[in-house]
Amino acid sequence: MFSELEKNLRQHITLTTDEFDRVKRYFVPKKLRRKQFMLEASDVCTRMAFVSKGALFSYSTSEKGSINVVQFAFESWWMADLYSFFTEEPSKLYIEALEDSELLLLKADRLQPLLADVPAMETYLRILYQNAYVALQRRLEETIGLTAEQRYLRFMERDGRLLLRVPQHMIASYLGVTPETLSRIRKQVS
Amino acid sequence: MKTKSTIAIIGSTGNMGSAIAKSLAKGSNRLLLFGREDTKLQTLKNDIHTLNSGADVEAIGCPKDASWEADIVILAVPYAAEAAVAEEIRPYVTQKIVISIANPMNETFDGMVTPADSSAAQELQKLLPDAQVVKAFNTTYAANFAEPVIAGVPADAYVAGDDEKAVQTVTELVQSMGLNPVVAGGLAVSHTLEHMQLLLIQLTVKNNYNWHAGWKILHN
Repeated sequence: MFSELEKNLRQHITLTTDEFDRVKRYFVPKKLRRKQFMLEASDVCTRMAFVSKGALFSYSTSEKGSINVVQFAFESWWMADLYSFFTEEPSKLYIEALEDSELLLLKADRLQPLLADVPAMETYLRILYQNAYVALQRRLEETIGLTAEQRYLRFMERDGRLLLRVPQHMIASYLGVTPETLSRIRKQVS
Repeated sequence: MKTKSTIAIIGSTGNMGSAIAKSLAKGSNRLLLFGREDTKLQTLKNDIHTLNSGADVEAIGCPKDASWEADIVILAVPYAAEAAVAEEIRPYVTQKIVISIANPMNETFDGMVTPADSSAAQELQKLLPDAQVVKAFNTTYAANFAEPVIAGVPADAYVAGDDEKAVQTVTELVQSMGLNPVVAGGLAVSHTLEHMQLLLIQLTVKNNYNWHAGWKILHN
């Protein structure tokens, strides 16, 4: 249940066995089935999820009912609406299981006790937030500055293997194009 | 809150477990039912769908899986069975709410089997140190979940626990079931709550209340 998290933590920080045993006591083990929600829009996001197994995706919805995919998260990735998590404002996002998933959830009110108990986790979380910021900025720049085809190529280069698990219409939504445009791009670049 | 909570009821084929399940099924939560008697479990599922055709309810094969998938676990097994179930679910209820409904009475209903300075809820907390144990539903008879108003008055349903947020969540749950929640205090108050029910059972038998009785605090 904790092997992926342990591997991930140890990539970034040094933890004794005793420290990792203490870390485990702050995480909620939670199974989520495909199509179930970790968060629904208008609720405050009070939990960050580490994906041990499976996949999640976050999205907003338009007035017409279409979805705008914001982010995917696969094994060993983190998922949350950090904006809502830190401001405690209601989220505009849904976080849904793309596949049957096993998560480890860290609740907002457990964050400070965890950091006080195992200070090395401060470093880990700083790296986590840095990565989240970098990913957000990259996504913003790609959305503003690149053509759909360039965005697709970047995306495939970065996460192509994982995206075999994602339906085409969700990839199209993530890239901000219609499924027809995505299909055309795929033909052009193949 | 809009995001559905998943509530596992371990021991859902017992009197209390099935009454709680039916009462919860009126809400929008997802219910996972675990009970050792398959036929009863199937009947319960059918009853729930009759009460609420849109109820999100599923029978699940073992307490471990039910607890892993749940956000809240209701332990509706007899006190004598609690330790074994707790051992089974312990790794899967870290930082989750576990509701203790038990009244740890002896066979002759004239005392408790728990240590004099403890309670079923406190003993459960010792077995599940990383869970947020909350005492609830122990002063409500099974029949009163369907009829929470007794002699024209909604009976009180006392809630006790050490984690403020967990107590708040359980209080909201109790309210959603049509019961009148009263936050009684920290988990140690469970000792009093369990003894209140011991007395109520003794008086129910003595005065023939027909298992429709409850506690009510009268106040201005």
